[in-house]
Amino acid sequence: MNSKSKAPCIPIEGSISWEDWLKGRRARRESSQLVAPGVIRRKRSSSDRRLKKLFNGERGLPFTPTEKL
Amino acid sequence: MELVVVGGSAIEILTEGAYASGDLDVCHATKATLPVRERQEVMELLGAKGGPRIWQVAGMYLDLLGPAESFARTPFRRIEAPYGSFLVMKPEDLVVERVLMSYYLGVNQTARNCARILISVALRGEIAVDWDEVRRLANLPEYRNLPECVILVNEVANELEIKSPLHPD
Repeated sequence: MNSKSKAPCIPIEGSISWEDWLKGRRARRESSQLVAPGVIRRKRSSSDRRLKKLFNGERGLPFTPTEKL
Repeated sequence: MELVVVGGSAIEILTEGAYASGDLDVCHATKATLPVRERQEVMELLGAKGGPRIWQVAGMYLDLLGPAESFARTPFRRIEAPYGSFLVMKPEDLVVERVLMSYYLGVNQTARNCARILISVALRGEIAVDWDEVRRLANLPEYRNLPECVILVNEVANELEIKSPLHPD
């Protein structure tokens, strides 16, 4: 691995535009997957009852596949 | 009043790391307290149901918590969304906090993975992080986990073959 990404950066000062934030989603996902592959959502929490009721037995919405980001 | 996204949702917004659940945790950034009546008025504007702390809105749950807890001197990150800008918790706080959670009450692999994805995205320059501030926070009595932070940042940097910003050289 290697070099720094060319994706738009979420800055310390100021703000990032919505368009740039969207543009960077795939790069951020890929950087995350390099060091923690797959879904790393917690398996359970104290909110499970209400979450699973709302999300058809899951703890939240499914994640957008990387290729669709 | 301004709200700031915290916790796992903040990590998701900053990393796309496939971590967040269907809870969106938000705190208020600008007031010490937020009266119940004011919460209700704000949430009504969004068409939310429930309350006074947990609301159902836009197909998910929103937990409206107290004032945002942050020790970092950097600002909250700001994203200009289509319906207005919003704030996200500072990654400097999130990194140090997740490193602490990863070992504090026994090994917590999920917290460790959260710290790793934050560090990875930061090292690759996709979120700007003030590493001097990370070092300062990790030295605070509230955390006292600089050695653990250094080890994990160095570990991720080695995997990515990027120079670690917390390396002594």
